[in-house]
Amino acid sequence: MTWRFADQRVSHPLPLGVAQRAPVGQAVRAGDVLASGTRYGEPVRLAGARRLGVTPDDLPQVMRVPPGAELERGAIIARTGRRFARAVSAPFDGRIVHVRASGDIEFAPVVDRWSVRATLDGVVTESSDWAVTVEGAAWCIQGVVAYGPDAVGDLTLAVDGRTEELAPSRIDVRLRDRILIGGGRSAAEAIARAHACGVAGVVAGAVPAAGLRTLFGDEVSARGAPDGSDTPTVLCLLGFGTSQLPAEVFMPFVPLIGARAAIHSASARLFVFASSGVMTAPTMVPTIALAPDWGAVMPLEGAAAPAREVVLASEVVSAALETTLGTVPTGNLRTLDPV
Amino acid sequence: MTVATATGLLATVDVAHETSANRIGPRTDGADLRVTTGTPLRLAILVGREPANLAAARAAALGACADIVLTLATNDRQSFVDRASLLRGADPDAVLVVASARDQKGVLDLVEALRCAMAGRPRQPALLIAADERMRAQVALALAPLVIEAIPGPAAALARDAIVSRLRGMRRPASDVVLRDEAVEAAARALASADGRETLVLDVNGASTSLALANPAGAVIALHSHLGAGMNADRVVARAGLERVRRWVPRAVDAPALLERVFNRARWPDAVPATTLTLALEMALAREAVAHTLRDAERSGISVAPFRDAGAIVCTGRLARFPRASQTAIVAIDALEPSGVARISREKPDALIAAGAMGSRGIPDAANTIEPLAIVMTQWPKRPTLVTVTDEGGPVEQRVARGAFLLIPTNGRVEVRVAGSPERVVADSVALGVIVDARGRPLELPQRDAERLPALARWHNALTALSAEGLT
Repeated sequence: MTWRFADQRVSHPLPLGVAQRAPVGQAVRAGDVLASGTRYGEPVRLAGARRLGVTPDDLPQVMRVPPGAELERGAIIARTGRRFARAVSAPFDGRIVHVRASGDIEFAPVVDRWSVRATLDGVVTESSDWAVTVEGAAWCIQGVVAYGPDAVGDLTLAVDGRTEELAPSRIDVRLRDRILIGGGRSAAEAIARAHACGVAGVVAGAVPAAGLRTLFGDEVSARGAPDGSDTPTVLCLLGFGTSQLPAEVFMPFVPLIGARAAIHSASARLFVFASSGVMTAPTMVPTIALAPDWGAVMPLEGAAAPAREVVLASEVVSAALETTLGTVPTGNLRTLDPV
Repeated sequence: MTVATATGLLATVDVAHETSANRIGPRTDGADLRVTTGTPLRLAILVGREPANLAAARAAALGACADIVLTLATNDRQSFVDRASLLRGADPDAVLVVASARDQKGVLDLVEALRCAMAGRPRQPALLIAADERMRAQVALALAPLVIEAIPGPAAALARDAIVSRLRGMRRPASDVVLRDEAVEAAARALASADGRETLVLDVNGASTSLALANPAGAVIALHSHLGAGMNADRVVARAGLERVRRWVPRAVDAPALLERVFNRARWPDAVPATTLTLALEMALAREAVAHTLRDAERSGISVAPFRDAGAIVCTGRLARFPRASQTAIVAIDALEPSGVARISREKPDALIAAGAMGSRGIPDAANTIEPLAIVMTQWPKRPTLVTVTDEGGPVEQRVARGAFLLIPTNGRVEVRVAGSPERVVADSVALGVIVDARGRPLELPQRDAERLPALARWHNALTALSAEGLT
């Protein structure tokens, strides 16, 4: 998908243990904390209703703090107001994770804290303990897949042309917190170096699949990678292996250099926060072709003869175009329409 | 809308591929039915400590083509928080609880973790509980206000069918959609009924793999998975491992380059294999998709022997669309490892699936939808054995030793005899001939490239399954 300035919508799922979250209507900028919470350690099960001598249904009425409350050791969780009071107190510093249907209470220590940050300048339109959704306008380009956590930073061009590969030698700590435009291809070595130098993320036409395994582990797939705590952020715009970015995809990066940008990994989108008038969206919709051996993705440039049926080297009969890249089956061509 | 013809009511069916669709039927303005793989269904399984519970739940998932995103057992040693975090991360569309009476305490722990994990979720997952009445009542209480659906234990076939129907209903996006797995099962049922013998429909397409074994009485055992030779190719690699896919490619190709191709194929729906190498890769992916679906069946306590013993094997989907008929045959044989004697056929492009879709709506007519390819005889002779194949051209004798894999081309009606055996096999005309497979079971490929590549080349050459360019 190619460039477009339009309203975007991003949903951020929240992990267990939400403590705070942005309310609906709050204006946020990419990078702002949308929600924060805690990670729990080994929980203990406290006798709640049983200890207090109330039914599970009556437990909420005698609880002094709501589920989710963070308490210090000894703090009263629930207490009956009778003459001979019975109480449930926190056995250690921690949070109430859950109240069971039986009236028992799951209480766990806090071992870490997390926060989820916005990847879009806009307004919170939905907010629950499950997810926070932000909507706003931005320049956007849709990639094929992204790996690693969401990233926010200033957009920086790290190659001289759309056909170039991101060279490790061009990356140093001065690029810290930036999002690098890596040209047609970024190898694992360059991405690893960028991550080590504190670069926020890398955007490239293609990334070698084996390199992704090196960076993200053997469980990486064409759809993403399992969450990792300390992994780089990579957005593949076209595919895997090698590629060249079409001019219609690469040239719009030039007026956007220096603008704040964000990579939303789950939806594989790059947002750039610049005014709508900073450039004109490309009018030509680029076409890309999958290489005959499926090892590369290339832009289709120049004239193409009308489609005709051909017998390919594999003996598959298919409609195909005669192009500058050779005979390409129509099934291996794709246009990059705007998001 | 249907069209009345001399042969009955003929519906028009759109058979969806990865992004395109092929229309089968008389109408040009639209279709009465659509065959699709349906909406992916993320299923979490919560099971009791007995292995039978887990096997039964897996079997139900395999029958419904549901993706198991998480399995939690009552005897796992995870904490409440770990379980809740895993369930939240899995984000299931449906949760299947299978447990026996003595697991009550453990099941309550699991469903409490589920309730905690789903807090704040706008749309709650469907909760299917296969347990006794007392436990169901306890679970309903623990999960309130979430609504549960009581189902019988999936150990019984009828109960499993009920779960499969319910899960399929969740995958069906519209009423005019026939799920591809439903169509495959209906096609198998129609063919077995027409042919009067056990028939296996082996369907591999870009996004899913199905094996449906039907007997003439109409009973079907089916396995469905989201492993495919196209947009789910990366799932095959993730499950089977890259090396298991690479071992089927009959020329030297390094693993990183192969992974690139698999990933690009997965993100490029309906990509065409333009070279022999990419075609060989697609064939390799199809083999492993079938083999892995069978492995899943074994893990679910389903015996795969009946699938391998089927007298008729019909290939559909991409498996049936390889350019050469021999490519379909060799992939089916390598993947399934059939035993005994079987007739291998393939569907005419999408015709059997369309017929199956109509069959699933009560109009079974699978006539003239398949093309018989070959008779495959699996042997493991102690000493070289004489096989005599008689066709319109007269008898041909072939000595078969262990390790052999060969094709005896035939013309017209075929009769096959094996020396020392009173059994004879008779079949109508087949496109290729008689394939004798004496490579042994399970089929083992040499580990080292220097031995594996010549073996693969020999097997492919025997059936003329790849051009010389593809083998060099």
